[in-house]
Amino acid sequence: MARHSVIDGTAPLGVVIVGAGFIADHHGAALRASSRARLAGIVDVDAGRASAAATAAGGVPWTTDLAAALARPDVGAAIVCTPNVTHEPIALQIAAAGKHLLMEKPLTITAPSARAVVDAFDAAGTVVMAAHTHRFYDYARAVDDAIAGGAVGRPVFARLALLGGWIWPDWRAWVLDPAKSGGHALHNGVHLLDLVSWWLRDEPVSVYARGRAQTAAELRIHDYLEMHVEYARGADAVCEMSRGHRPSTLDRRDVLIAGTEGVLQLPADGWGSTVVTESGTSLLHPQAANGFAVQLDAWLDAIADPRAERAMTPADAVRAVALGVATELSIERGEPVTLDEVMEGVRR
Amino acid sequence: MSEGTLGVLLLGFAGLGPDQDHQQDMYLPAFGTHDGFEVVAAAGTPGDAADQAAAERLAGKLGLPAPAADLDAALADPAVDVVSVCAPPERRVDAVIAALRAGKHVLVDKPLALTAADAARVAAVAAESGTVCLPAHHQRFHPMIAAARGAVAGGKVGLPWNVQADFLVAGGTPSPAGELANFAVYPVDVVLALTGLRVRRVYARLSTYWTDGGADDFALLFLTHENGLTSTISIGRTRELADTRPAGLAVHRYRVSGSHGVLDIDASRPAVVLRRAEASSQTWHGAGTVDRLLDELHAAVSAGRPSSPSAADAVHIAEIVDAARTSGVSGHPVDLRSDQEGSR
Repeated sequence: MARHSVIDGTAPLGVVIVGAGFIADHHGAALRASSRARLAGIVDVDAGRASAAATAAGGVPWTTDLAAALARPDVGAAIVCTPNVTHEPIALQIAAAGKHLLMEKPLTITAPSARAVVDAFDAAGTVVMAAHTHRFYDYARAVDDAIAGGAVGRPVFARLALLGGWIWPDWRAWVLDPAKSGGHALHNGVHLLDLVSWWLRDEPVSVYARGRAQTAAELRIHDYLEMHVEYARGADAVCEMSRGHRPSTLDRRDVLIAGTEGVLQLPADGWGSTVVTESGTSLLHPQAANGFAVQLDAWLDAIADPRAERAMTPADAVRAVALGVATELSIERGEPVTLDEVMEGVRR
Repeated sequence: MSEGTLGVLLLGFAGLGPDQDHQQDMYLPAFGTHDGFEVVAAAGTPGDAADQAAAERLAGKLGLPAPAADLDAALADPAVDVVSVCAPPERRVDAVIAALRAGKHVLVDKPLALTAADAARVAAVAAESGTVCLPAHHQRFHPMIAAARGAVAGGKVGLPWNVQADFLVAGGTPSPAGELANFAVYPVDVVLALTGLRVRRVYARLSTYWTDGGADDFALLFLTHENGLTSTISIGRTRELADTRPAGLAVHRYRVSGSHGVLDIDASRPAVVLRRAEASSQTWHGAGTVDRLLDELHAAVSAGRPSSPSAADAVHIAEIVDAARTSGVSGHPVDLRSDQEGSR
């Protein structure tokens, strides 16, 4: 006898993935594991890549024409994983088609365009969420839950470091082109900038950042970023994002929160079991929830009830972009940059 | 007094806080257990009646001769080789200079001076006198840090390009001068000792989070060094914590990133960790950082060489602290002059 897991009669939401790069695989896996949404197709400007991804996903439809995909009545939403510079036009096209959007971070690479995208979805009455996946990882939620429970009183100092080595392709990688990625602060820095702002429950005022082209002097992005954020009610955050550390196998996550009532730490050496083998010492990470799946659920929750409180709001996404832009500007100037300057004329 | 033993004059009984006496709490016990030193006299800081009373009490307790009538007389004592100066901060520089001019070697409580200009006055006299002037930056002698200095200098992580440091004390009495003035010398000295690279640019944030008074109890220093190395140092005094003794270090660590590796230094280790119903605590055997500081003092005096750290190192740290104060007020980075001699 056939068995059905879907019993509420609601058809799963049809979702197309736009941009069949490596991060799309994570979203695809989350969709496959979901009973509330299904992968309805793949869109990519490269037909070969689109068809290969569609085949790998079990033979779902593919196209190079986003408009055609969005015109399908069985497609209600899109997850976009394209190069950052394309986020704005693609998002606006999806809003105009009346579909929902989960946009890989950053939402866009400028504050005005981020605001414009959010406004377009407001006007369309559909949901846009930026995929700041770290918010949905166990470690980030454990820290947030502790702070929410008053464990450290009012948090006043946060340190967050995500340090690793080179993971990108060669010089042709679009991430390495600031015109396409917005720079490393927009590409990866926004993860940390968003996370600490969420943890500190405060509004950023200014950013002082320093960047480094560590892997090669010719890099046009900063593979190591250090970002200091000052907050409105008086708190400081120091974030480090690195893809320039050696050895390239380094995989480091370090959290320190000092509050008025205590100190919270997720020590770097506590992140897994130590494995010592003939080829050296490594860390075995603990089992953890799939952040992409938790994030997908949060997005589907927002689509199901747009008025409910959201795990990641459009305003959060705009703020993350503004922090990323302020970071790049601060590195260029060697001076702190205020959020007011970056957000000039843009509603928060 | 045996051959090679240095006679010590304890001069001044203060710290940077109202209830502090680093002389009796830190240096006297270390001198007492060190084979190379013998305390031969005590003297109060001129012009400070409370300090002079403390000297008299201590002399009585230790069976030392009654404190000399004035500082010149105390410094004229031929039995005195080394003067341990814990004069109150506002009188400290004059006391150190008097001791150096009298041809004595000097151990100075930190900070050596409250401003770079005052520190430079001391350094100039020290250079002239040719005697040892050792600022008590004892954290660089921590066993974890001392080993790391050797590892970095030996190229273990390649060319260092970044250091991240946290120096967070829990509980104890807040310093009325602020914790930047009180504590910054320790981690800044360690970063300079680890890297051997002077600081060119300082951006700082000063805040007051745990105390009600106006003095800062949290500082963030963003330093740009020679050769493009950057360092970031958090310094603060949080509220008391159950697992940390009052005024003990709750977080004390350094991460050195280099072109070929990463070195993590946790200065709360090595430790035997004790866990009990009321709280947990950590203990360790072996010489403490102040004992090792005295080893350096004795070695420098015996060899007739400048100490490491030197008064010149204290000047550079004072410049960094001055710049941090300026930056904290202006909200902009401050460039340091680069015409100073190297800090090594």
